[in-house]
Amino acid sequence: MYYRSSNIAARIFDRQICTPAPGTSVHHARRFYENLVPSYTVYEVEFPDHSFRKFTDDGQYLSNKFGLFATSTAQVLDAPADGGAVQGVPSIEKITFHLLRMEDGEILDKKIRDSGNFVHVRAIGEFCREDDELFLNSNAQGMPLSNKNKQHPVPENHVENHMHQGQPSVGNSFLSGVKQRLLSFIFQGLWNEETDDTLRIQRLRNKFYFHFQDYVDLVIWKVQFLDRHHLLIKFGSVDGGPQVSRNADHHPAFVAVYNMDTTEIISFYHNSADELYLLFEKFGDHFHVTSRNLMYMNFISSHSNNIHALEQLWSIKDKASNSSQFVKKMLASLPFSCQSQSPSPYFDQSLFRFDDKLISATDRHRQSTDHPIKFILRNSPHTLKFKIKPGPEAGSMDGRAKKISSFLFHPFLPFALSIQQTLFLQPSVVNIHFRR
Amino acid sequence: MISGGGGGRSSSSSWAPTTSVSASGKRIQREMVELNNDPPPHCSAGPKGDNLYHWIATIIGTPGTPYQGGIFFLDIIFPTDYPFMPPQVVFKTRIYHCNVEPDGRVSMGILKDGWSPALTITKVLLAVRSIFTNPDPYNAVVPGIAHLYLGDRAKHDDIAAEWTVRFAK
Repeated sequence: MYYRSSNIAARIFDRQICTPAPGTSVHHARRFYENLVPSYTVYEVEFPDHSFRKFTDDGQYLSNKFGLFATSTAQVLDAPADGGAVQGVPSIEKITFHLLRMEDGEILDKKIRDSGNFVHVRAIGEFCREDDELFLNSNAQGMPLSNKNKQHPVPENHVENHMHQGQPSVGNSFLSGVKQRLLSFIFQGLWNEETDDTLRIQRLRNKFYFHFQDYVDLVIWKVQFLDRHHLLIKFGSVDGGPQVSRNADHHPAFVAVYNMDTTEIISFYHNSADELYLLFEKFGDHFHVTSRNLMYMNFISSHSNNIHALEQLWSIKDKASNSSQFVKKMLASLPFSCQSQSPSPYFDQSLFRFDDKLISATDRHRQSTDHPIKFILRNSPHTLKFKIKPGPEAGSMDGRAKKISSFLFHPFLPFALSIQQTLFLQPSVVNIHFRR
Repeated sequence: MISGGGGGRSSSSSWAPTTSVSASGKRIQREMVELNNDPPPHCSAGPKGDNLYHWIATIIGTPGTPYQGGIFFLDIIFPTDYPFMPPQVVFKTRIYHCNVEPDGRVSMGILKDGWSPALTITKVLLAVRSIFTNPDPYNAVVPGIAHLYLGDRAKHDDIAAEWTVRFAK
């Protein structure tokens, strides 16, 4: 694995005469990225439209489409590249899109038909199975077909208020499909934990019935696919939506794994659960459903596949004064947003070291300083290899103004864009970083 | 499991004083102790939040019935003049049953004219559980289900079992 020299000519010579240890040839080859770095910057490039969000995985295009919440669809090599489609990507009709309606937390599955219209495939929330509502209607035996849930997204509260004013309920609202599954899962867990009847009912009273309304009031905040069948669903309270997740401490949040096909809740965790954190630490990559069709997509560093990233995580963990706060903070990133990580080799933590508060493979906006971001060799001689400096070359006019940067790295070439914005609606500064 | 503030919402808006010294409150508390000491099989119940007058009950679908495998949640709402008036029992989980109104309300003699102040929450739970095994089609509130139960029991059971799988798991 180790080259005798960091000089590129010496390495090429080494490559001719040495065979890397079995299974390491790719890692070996990737170390050439230590020599080929985007160290040259062109500042303040005129950019007609910089609303690009990412590079396509093959690195050929910049895309300004929003990442769609879609089933991961295998590449089809013979798919025709007609009508503006990207070659290799199957026709859009084969992809199921999943939308989350924020208003009432229903997940809406949509599929695009040949006609180009969205058709409703499945809604998870009020009902679990696609035909539950149809089934209910066809078996209603003269029952009123819909209950209040249909008209009001959050009827429980209305009923609740009713009761609390001393007016026993007139109408009832059944638990929604997902809530029934969730409550039933929690109930059965507690029921099976204890065999003594008296202890069991006390336990249920304190841990289940006392909090029943809190569970009923949970809404779906965010969802991701773990695979084609399993969803990772984050539940939280209505008033502690994802926007204010920094104050998540005040609002309990839960994470559930739900199987869409069997309509079963597989597991359910509080957002400070050590068990979930351990899964996150050890099997972090399983939470990222990234397309693994391209070889270099397998080299996205995470604390579960990279010792340096893991050590970094552990050092944060050791520094944390309060373990449950730390767990909550780490688990706040679940469910992961899709398509949000850059496979760029410059983020490979076995090659480079950098301050991940300023830059990382995860695509998001960060506060930036006037100092350039340093990329230092992970391996000997541990030298500074290149810098990425967002914003104007001379630094910004007003040093105190808050600046936000985002970065777009090419998936495998030494090429990157940095986009710096100040909060005062000034035009953003786009720099190009490449190897000259 | 929920840290802090659990039940806080219901306490702030509860219509019954939490530290009720009223006769009904004392009676409900006594019944809670009784239920704790001798809970009926496959049943449990407890106050929702800290409101003594609003309970949640759970009945596990009786084995050997079409309700087997289901977990049924119910609201039990006590009137302020309990035990002189019966509590109201309402399914929160959909169920296919001739004695349960389409909106979930349980229709049973003992919850109406047949109520006696001698009855307790434990007895109510046992009574509700018994309609899983023995529906009463002659006092049905959903005639369609009652007719099917009497005319084609197998089909009735199939449908009820399907409801259990879809809505009560």
